Amino acid sequence: MRLSLAAAISHGRVYRRFGLSPRSRLDLLRNLVTALVRHERIETPWARADEMRGYAERLIDYAKRGDKDERAMRMADFWLTEKDLIHKLFKVLAPRFQPHPGSYTRLLQIPNRDGLDRAKMAVIELKGNPLPPLVRPRRDSDKTLLNQLLKGYRQDAQRAAAP
Amino acid sequence: LLVLVPSPLPRLRAVLQRCWGRLERGLWPGIFGGQSPPWGPALAVQGPALVPQGINDAGESSAEAPSLLESVVWMAAPKHRRTIEVNRCRRRNPTKLIEIKRNIDVCPECGNLKQKHVLCGYCYAKVKEETRLIRMEIYKKEGRPFNAPAVETVVLYEGEKPTEKDEGKRIIERARRRPSWFVQN
Repeated sequence: MRLSLAAAISHGRVYRRFGLSPRSRLDLLRNLVTALVRHERIETPWARADEMRGYAERLIDYAKRGDKDERAMRMADFWLTEKDLIHKLFKVLAPRFQPHPGSYTRLLQIPNRDGLDRAKMAVIELKGNPLPPLVRPRRDSDKTLLNQLLKGYRQDAQRAAAP
Repeated sequence: LLVLVPSPLPRLRAVLQRCWGRLERGLWPGIFGGQSPPWGPALAVQGPALVPQGINDAGESSAEAPSLLESVVWMAAPKHRRTIEVNRCRRRNPTKLIEIKRNIDVCPECGNLKQKHVLCGYCYAKVKEETRLIRMEIYKKEGRPFNAPAVETVVLYEGEKPTEKDEGKRIIERARRRPSWFVQN
């Protein structure tokens, strides 16, 4: 059994490395989570959004436990640096997501950033936010094969039910 | 006093000579911690000539020159000129060409080009501008920073009234007609 690991092999590591140190990484993600809870839709590099998504959803799961839960309050206190957002989290977001079992965020890729780095950017938003929608759900046209067959089935059912 | 040493390499021989010289001259006082050195009378063995100085200088000067040449590392270098045909084959090999993208489509809303897994740039810019204006209205309503309310928000455009679903929500007014792509829920 290999007890030591060769340098530059990172098989199975799930957490990306950001910032100057692990603590700096957590601070960076914490700022992003705070911004998401405040503005409900933010645009950041894709890797940061992807990393932050898990933390944000777990924070909402903690918030669903309720205001009185000691662990939930400690989590919210750590993760939200702006303390007026703790009220928003427990009073607005927790009731909004109570019926949903999971996946409270939506992560969509955007065209690369305009600056010199051309970074892969993403927009991450909480579902059910009041802002204009990013993607309009498109219905398939009526002329596709499946839709025509379904239309025929519906008409047959109506003719059978009518008389 | 003769000391038996194994057959030395030139560098090891030089190091040993220096150590022995320092010991003889008394420039290494602390080596035995104040006691006498541990060696007593030893067997004199015919070894390679180490101590006599004259032979060693000759040996060192002759050993220096070959060691310089031995320490040179041989590097690879091309022997022949690569012809332009061979060069073309290498430069135009399919793995070196830029991959063509087949995931470009037309956005059904605005007709601009977009990648299949990425949002349309034009439509996103539209939505981004509108959210920026909505956020300016929100900031004006909140007054000071860090004043997020503990109620939901709803955005209403010109001539719209809050429905019964929007009870208890904070209303943000936008002074324009509702855009066609912002469907009211």
